[in-house]
Amino acid sequence: MTTVDRRLWLLLPAGLTLTVAFLLPVGWLLSRAFTFPQPGFQNFVLLWERPVYLRVMGNTLWISAIVTPITVLLAFPVAHLMAHGSPRLRRWLVFLVLVPFWTSLLVRSFATAILLQRHGVLNSFLIAFGFTEEPLPLLYNMAGLLAGCVQVLLPFVIFPLYSSMARIDPAYMRAASTLGATPVRAFLRVYLPLTLPGLMTGATLVFISTLGYYIIPALLGGARQQMIAQLIQDQIATFGNWGVAGALSLVLLAATAALLALLQFTVGLKEIAR
Amino acid sequence: MSISITRRTLMAGVAATPLAAYAQGANDLKGTTVVFASWGGAYQDAEKVSYCEPFAKATGATVVQDGPMNVAKFRAMAGSGTPDWDVVDVTGGFLEVAAKDGLLEKIDTKLVNIGRLDPRFVHEYGVGAIVWSYNLGYSTAAYANGAPTTWADLFDLKKFPGKRTLLDQPVASLEVALLADGVAPDKLYPLDVDRAFKKLDQIKAQTVFWSTNSQSQQLFVDREVTMGIILNGRVYDAQQKGAKIALSWEQNIQAVDYLVVPKGSKNRDAAMRLIDTMTVAENQTKVANLIAYSPTNLAAVKDVDKKVEPWLCTTPENLQKGFVMSQLYWRDHLKDLTERWTAWKIA
Repeated sequence: MTTVDRRLWLLLPAGLTLTVAFLLPVGWLLSRAFTFPQPGFQNFVLLWERPVYLRVMGNTLWISAIVTPITVLLAFPVAHLMAHGSPRLRRWLVFLVLVPFWTSLLVRSFATAILLQRHGVLNSFLIAFGFTEEPLPLLYNMAGLLAGCVQVLLPFVIFPLYSSMARIDPAYMRAASTLGATPVRAFLRVYLPLTLPGLMTGATLVFISTLGYYIIPALLGGARQQMIAQLIQDQIATFGNWGVAGALSLVLLAATAALLALLQFTVGLKEIAR
Repeated sequence: MSISITRRTLMAGVAATPLAAYAQGANDLKGTTVVFASWGGAYQDAEKVSYCEPFAKATGATVVQDGPMNVAKFRAMAGSGTPDWDVVDVTGGFLEVAAKDGLLEKIDTKLVNIGRLDPRFVHEYGVGAIVWSYNLGYSTAAYANGAPTTWADLFDLKKFPGKRTLLDQPVASLEVALLADGVAPDKLYPLDVDRAFKKLDQIKAQTVFWSTNSQSQQLFVDREVTMGIILNGRVYDAQQKGAKIALSWEQNIQAVDYLVVPKGSKNRDAAMRLIDTMTVAENQTKVANLIAYSPTNLAAVKDVDKKVEPWLCTTPENLQKGFVMSQLYWRDHLKDLTERWTAWKIA
């Protein structure tokens, strides 16, 4: 046996855990789409016949598609400071970005509600300083949902971006400007492409995580921000209908896979083109 | 929803009574373990102290606490034929579904003295433990010069301006809309769904939907809403904590939590006898005092702490103002109406 083969054994504990705790139950749920309550495609027919399911699915993809660029845009400067600032600043930033990880999602969502509500911190501030007279509707609508998702997901973009940026040799940017590139051009043609691996990893994590959100739309979103995880949960917890739940999960999975493949394809092409 | 007692079962009950029925204090269940599953938290603690402990003391049985109750888990258990749970606290909605799907043991009226309870809260397959109600809740600060009292007021944005809150589900919301539109409680079922959604359109833009009970309470505490559908116990709790909130009992919509025995329970008889202990007035009074949920044994109400009593939906006065929701209707329509509810919301 070669060394490589022997090292593969190290994958065994994680692999077993993943199989037992993830692959088998998820596979079981997905298979229910074709077997519950009886074998056949009736669950998919139902999804097709009742437009509400596909509309909520579209809603979910749309919300994820909005959350992702906002999160990336906000994360970029933070990761940049982290990568190129002083070590002291970096330690502080890492600490500040990690703190939310120690707090539960539920607590953070309630905290976001406290900030954004009609008589909340932000509205009180805006009214006190004369920016607005009536409290702004920041909660139980798209704004509240976006705020909730973005604040939870920022670390998922900041850290991969940071690791990409930290590996960028500062000499590249100096070389670009020596060769006559404006700072904007140097950023767009040299710096940004080098951050793409981290950026894409982060964006993918954000997009996929948002697709599955359940608590945040329920607590911070409004009537229209209904997302698919809430419907899947209803199917299982209220109706005990594993078939429809499995079909919904499968369609969501397929849509996600298709989108990611598309993304990989287009970004991959761009990288080749450079 | 009321239980249909045939003459034969009734006679059997009568005949058995002097012999072994309702045998409390027999201490004959030593070595038997009964597993009791409920919803956790303060409620299950109250049930443990008020039902399980007196039962264990009287019969010598051991009662193990488990849970939380979960529909998928219950189904899997009862479907397997050898459930881990012997007595389970379930919602009225699930009771009807489970009864239809054959997941429950019939209540043995030789062992459970259902005569102690108001017949509205007794089912062939379950015995009502507590009752709660959907009420019109409102901010006393927002409506200092005249409080809303009827469901129609909930839809009157001119007379009672302010944000509204509804549950994020068709159950109770559709009933409320029809009551507000003038339908009498005894003419409510089957629901005129089109009419209900049309009525709900009037306040949709002003409505925040709540999906957990704590959220319904918090919306009032944070002054996000000024009026809405909320459970009686939640108004009580919010008021205890200092919120400026009150409720109206006018046409309160009542729902029942039942104790049931999953099909195939190994300890069926002991389970039935634990349920019988629950029906005793003294034990129900204890639960009401601990957590302010309303007794199904109406004799239990009079001994409840005078501070808690006005919050119960089964006092003679509040019972008369309200009515019990038809879980049978919802058993057959919940799926379709939930789809329609979602479509209405996102439209």
